[in-house]
Amino acid sequence: MNYHPITRRQSIKKLLKISGGLALTGVVTWPLQKTISAWAGSTNKKFIIEGIGQNHQYSVKALARKVFEAAGGIQKFVSKQDVVVIKPNISWARLPDLAATTNPEVLEAVVELCQEAGAKKVRIADHTIHDARRCFAITGAGMVAKKTGADLVYPRSSLMRNMKLRGHRLDVWPVFLPLVEADKVINLPVAKVHSLSGLTLGMKNWIGAVGGRRSALHQDIHLTIVDLAQFFNPTVTLIDATRIMVANGPSGGSRSDVVVLNRLILSDDPVAADAKAAGLFNFRPRDIGFIGLGEKWGLGTTEFQKLRENKVII
Amino acid sequence: MSQTFFLILFIFLLIESRLPQDIYLDYSIALNVEQDMELDYPVTYFFQLDPLIWVTSLISGHQWIKGFGWAFGIVVLTFFFGKIFCGFICPLGTLHHMVSYIRPALKKQNMIHANQKHASQRFKYFLLILFLMAALLGLNLTGLLDPMAFFFRSLSLAVFPGIGTGIKELLNLAAQSDIKILNYISYGGEVFVSPVFGYGYKAFKSAWFIGILFLFILFLNRIRPRFWCRTLCPLGALLGVFARFSILRLEKHSEKCTDCNLCLQSCQGAASPVPGQEWEASECIFCFNCFNACPENAIVFKLGWPPEVSKKPDMGRRAVLGGLLAGLSFPLLGRLDGRLHKVSDARLIRPPGSLPEKDFLKLCQRCGLCMKVCPTNAINPALTEAGMAGFWTPNLIMIQGYCEYTCTLCSGVCPTGAIRKLSGKEKIETPVRIGSAHIDRGRCLPWSGNGSCIVCEELCPTSPKAIRLRQETIRSPDGKEVSVKLPYVDLESCVGCGICEYKCPVKGNPAIRVISAGESRSVRNQILLKL
Repeated sequence: MNYHPITRRQSIKKLLKISGGLALTGVVTWPLQKTISAWAGSTNKKFIIEGIGQNHQYSVKALARKVFEAAGGIQKFVSKQDVVVIKPNISWARLPDLAATTNPEVLEAVVELCQEAGAKKVRIADHTIHDARRCFAITGAGMVAKKTGADLVYPRSSLMRNMKLRGHRLDVWPVFLPLVEADKVINLPVAKVHSLSGLTLGMKNWIGAVGGRRSALHQDIHLTIVDLAQFFNPTVTLIDATRIMVANGPSGGSRSDVVVLNRLILSDDPVAADAKAAGLFNFRPRDIGFIGLGEKWGLGTTEFQKLRENKVII
Repeated sequence: MSQTFFLILFIFLLIESRLPQDIYLDYSIALNVEQDMELDYPVTYFFQLDPLIWVTSLISGHQWIKGFGWAFGIVVLTFFFGKIFCGFICPLGTLHHMVSYIRPALKKQNMIHANQKHASQRFKYFLLILFLMAALLGLNLTGLLDPMAFFFRSLSLAVFPGIGTGIKELLNLAAQSDIKILNYISYGGEVFVSPVFGYGYKAFKSAWFIGILFLFILFLNRIRPRFWCRTLCPLGALLGVFARFSILRLEKHSEKCTDCNLCLQSCQGAASPVPGQEWEASECIFCFNCFNACPENAIVFKLGWPPEVSKKPDMGRRAVLGGLLAGLSFPLLGRLDGRLHKVSDARLIRPPGSLPEKDFLKLCQRCGLCMKVCPTNAINPALTEAGMAGFWTPNLIMIQGYCEYTCTLCSGVCPTGAIRKLSGKEKIETPVRIGSAHIDRGRCLPWSGNGSCIVCEELCPTSPKAIRLRQETIRSPDGKEVSVKLPYVDLESCVGCGICEYKCPVKGNPAIRVISAGESRSVRNQILLKL
């Protein structure tokens, strides 16, 4: 075979050509980018919406709908023919009223909203802690999937793929594939206390989106949470605080650990959503390590006045 | 026909002994607090058909176990119709039949020679008497060689997981490919493979040995057809004892016989079908091969009334005496390791609801049903943990799985009740403990000052949690003072479920481990004074 090694001179020439070309495209498109971002900035001010069900007979579904309407409608987040992946927290094989997992009614409401917006496919994906089949059944997620026709993805090992997270702490880590192969990702955590991170909210929910030696993440929990939150960066976060677990978290197991709040928090700013939810537990948001860190690393803000703040009461 | 039917039924029930699938169809079952998840099919059916399991459980455990009327029925059936069970129902027999029938290893004369009655056929009576005698002395070894238990164990712990692992390796390879269509095939394949072969990669301790033994016993069919049924099967021996009164008998017409020996060539039970020899009623497995092979109709199966006592089973005095002696010594030798009377192995963790060890060994058939059904793959066949007497009895290995807090599947499937039936409510509220956790402070990350970690506390399923955290200041390895949350185990709350050990990030020997001390089923194996 004829093999010509490239000479040093040739390689330098080539490199110059390539970099020159790149620089040129950069110059040409730079003003364009600037206008785009400026335009986006003016109209797309981030929002935080809190939905409260005060009426005794309120329906969780209606509340979820109202909350999304206040944010500009689900169409704003989900386009036609999108593959939407919802990441609930269904890690524990616990009944819904124990508040260890996302309320199936909220899950159902969100799936239906996505379907109404014309999503091509709605998937529910969570890498559970307990045996996934039991989790699907007992948390009610399976029922929702069956009722709505959404896909419930079994977290098999072949769906965990090593990916470069480019985090501050995590570099390469196995990631649950459906969550990165989606057009839109909706984070749907439940709000509860956690013995190490203080609370488990939206950003912490991403620990359920990776594989590998997950239990080792707790050795630097706040930084790893922020790394994961930055990697997954959902379209929108809806925190389920219809009932929250205030003690014995995150697994719970007793109804005495649960407080019913009838609230939902929706935001496209993951830090703000968590900050708002932290308030429900009477925490100052920045006291929760990952919220403070998330703000520091620019994932969002805990200052609600910078956002479009709204309240929906039914 | 009937053989195929029962073999397929057996395998179907075997596959069905898993976390029920119908919860995917009717989730209300799962969301109903009072109702526990139960299997949709009576997966213990074949064990209840088995008179050997019934008899040994009866004489060792002194109890009539629900559902074993079937086995009694089989005994009655045998009394009238001989070993019909072997030829028509037994799934393991069917498998041997198939292996022996398709491409027989021996050619004409050799086959005729191999099918002559052989003294080694007495060995099964030796085994039968051994098992009965041992059962009488409180050690039920039957399951080691009982055909149902043997077949179920081999298939569910070795054959199916083996095939499943192979297919999954392939699917995983396809999933990692960059070709989209291969990815889809892989995902689609999983949907079909996992319900049959189990979710994830199943692992069972000593499964390789169970598998090799199974293959070896299949291979023996090449030395003599249905080697297992003739020489080893203790159930066949038991049924053989009753078979001599059968009214369904082989009638031989010597005058028609042309000495072609075709009947002997096809006789899988070596029961002397040739006219001129006395028919061995207790060896005949009623495959009807000889009847079909005979071109002269010199041998026919006929119902004869009144019952006429056929030749009595050829046991041989040596087999009887040897069996008695061995059956006497095994239970005694089995207790010499002191596990029953002195101290049990700390790692012998039995499934929740297991009877006290002594009663457990009287009833456990080592069939592997609980191991198959465990959704976390925690239950394994014991190798040495339970001593020689408890070889292959169920044992939870917490680094491989854990006992899920609300799950009671294993207790529901035990065919002999060695694991008592529990409800989820009873398991949690009593609580039924299977052991207790302890922390290895030298290896624990926060205790050794190597970092913060709360995984065990986070996962602890009891409420209030059995693992508590306390913020304390300790020294890290480089001497600096650090403030960390230290885990403590509250023995009063701990049920020994083992999820802490399973998920502990400290690999190798986890920093928190579960031992059997504190298990509800034992009076002696306790830590605290108060229960």
